[in-house]
Amino acid sequence: MIKYLATASLLLAGAFLSTSLALAADPGITDTEIVIGDVEPLTGPPALLGVAASIGHKIAIAEANAAGGINGRKIKYVLEDDGYVTARTIQGVKKVTDVDKAFAMLGISGSGQSIAVMPLLEKAGIPTVIDVAPVKFLWEPPRKNVFVVGQSYEEGIIHLVNFLAEKNPGKKWGLITQDDDYGVTVRDGFDTVVKARKLNVVYSGNYKKGQQDFSSDMLQLKESGAEVFLAGGIIGENIAMMKELEKLNIKPVVGIFWPGRVEPVLKLMGPAGDGIYAVDYVEPFAGAAGKAFLEKAKGLLPEAEMKGINRYSMTGYAAAKVLISAIERCGKQPTWACTIAELEKTKNVETGIMAPISFGPGVRFSNQKLQIMQSEFSTLSFKPVN
Amino acid sequence: MQYFMQLLISGLAIGAIYGLIAMGFAVIYKSTGLVNFAQGEMTMITAYIAWTISTTVSGNVVVVALGAILAAVVLGLIIERVVMRPMLGEPVFATVMVTIGLAVILRSSINFIWDAYPHGLDVGFGRSIVRVGPIGVRTGQIAVIVTLLVLLAAIWAFFRYSKIGVAMRAVAADDRTALLMGISATRVHALAWAASSVIAGIGGVFFALSYDLSPAMFQLGLKAFPATILGGLDAVLGSGVGGLLIGITENLAGGYLGSGMKEVAGFAMIIVVLMIRPFGIFGERDIERV
Repeated sequence: MIKYLATASLLLAGAFLSTSLALAADPGITDTEIVIGDVEPLTGPPALLGVAASIGHKIAIAEANAAGGINGRKIKYVLEDDGYVTARTIQGVKKVTDVDKAFAMLGISGSGQSIAVMPLLEKAGIPTVIDVAPVKFLWEPPRKNVFVVGQSYEEGIIHLVNFLAEKNPGKKWGLITQDDDYGVTVRDGFDTVVKARKLNVVYSGNYKKGQQDFSSDMLQLKESGAEVFLAGGIIGENIAMMKELEKLNIKPVVGIFWPGRVEPVLKLMGPAGDGIYAVDYVEPFAGAAGKAFLEKAKGLLPEAEMKGINRYSMTGYAAAKVLISAIERCGKQPTWACTIAELEKTKNVETGIMAPISFGPGVRFSNQKLQIMQSEFSTLSFKPVN
Repeated sequence: MQYFMQLLISGLAIGAIYGLIAMGFAVIYKSTGLVNFAQGEMTMITAYIAWTISTTVSGNVVVVALGAILAAVVLGLIIERVVMRPMLGEPVFATVMVTIGLAVILRSSINFIWDAYPHGLDVGFGRSIVRVGPIGVRTGQIAVIVTLLVLLAAIWAFFRYSKIGVAMRAVAADDRTALLMGISATRVHALAWAASSVIAGIGGVFFALSYDLSPAMFQLGLKAFPATILGGLDAVLGSGVGGLLIGITENLAGGYLGSGMKEVAGFAMIIVVLMIRPFGIFGERDIERV
């Protein structure tokens, strides 16, 4: 009898140990809680995107928690600030994965920062959904545990320049880009279309990151006679360029890229910002989907955070929805392996703010559908162009 | 000619902003022998306070100007009393490191107190465009050039004729002898920090009027520092002129040599000038007697 009991005890202990080991292999889960980590720039100029993206994550998490959490477990969101400094991004990811024991990751900061932490994430094997800065390196070659929601910068620029070229045949073109990886991507996309359509480029400028006065650059643009202008700045740069063009009394057709497509920019550009074309893969806030998103956020966010919402909140929300839904499909005992498998099975997940999101076997990039928008100064909004 | 004139006027306008901030650097260096690496951040904070006054108290230009000046004085005095005075007598390297730390704190405070979005400072003045023939210039740009010239004259008179100005020069020349003459070095230092904060703050407010406010505004300090090196780190008036020279050079280089040369030109000029006059165009040569 004693021998029988001892064997049974050993079997029970073995079962307990194996369960514990399984849980230990996949950290960030208790009976009541599941931890999702994130690292974003929350200070400095890029906080404009980092804060907004984290707000998007918070909206999706608050929405899931309000509905009871993930199969009964509340989601705990751990957010670290990297100040847009790559060394701090690496530090932040290590802290979130090693100290906070996150079960999954969202984010992560800018393109350079995401690229820098890729080996770390890959080695850890933690399920990760990236939403802030989609660049090809993040999904080519595909990494087992890393998924990217969005569209590539290069495709975005190609779409915009193609649209503007079709609308303005035979016109002279001007372009200015930033002297960093972002600028290079914008220029590459532009050059692709220039080559294919044999566009007549009469001005091509390159400014140093941080430049705030564009008087000589815009004067050169004016002198070149450019009629269509791709403003490759981000936020403050585009505002300064538009104001200079107004001062110089010229109004070319202007295209801007999505990192600069935030509504407060239009107020600062003034009437000079009216009629600017932009490309994006999320819905504008002026549309029904955008308004519905803001309404949803109102019920889930403290009022102080509402003013931090911009397009990056939408991309953040969509990524968090996809991740939460994948963990949810894993049932009562989600694991990394199951979450990754479920992320891979993501098919036409509706978020209401961009086209349905899908991944697939070996496909780690959602390749969102792009749309062209145009600014309207009177309503300080962007509206889709049909 | 029209192209040249447009470049020149824009260069003068941005150069005047660099000049004001550069004068802020020089006032502190002249009085305390310290390079304040938080100058750009102090400029930015004053501009943000001006914006807060304009959006919460009154958009009247006089109210905003007086409020911003008062805020700049308080900011300068607080930094001197709380951060810099305890460092008196410590090695210069340690004190400079403190200003670098202060810069990081002030930079981060923008997101904590305000936000990361750009904002426009609207006081019903400065944004309208004046056109002289084909040349356009904003009223804020004209105002900053005039302000710099007025301040240059006022500061020259202050250092030459006022008791406090002479006391500041005495402390700068030899603080121990000045102390023996009954001049309080700490009081002079406090005054220097307040004056520097106000002068640079004026530059920041004009920048916000002509361009916009954003957490990237601290970078103005990085542009103004070469201006003060060019003019002479111990030459307050020279730093103002250095700002104008950097602004004009940048713009002419950008306009005639291409965008990429804009940033390089100012620094190239500094290298050439420093090779000929290592103490800056208007700086005084250090004489060590043995």
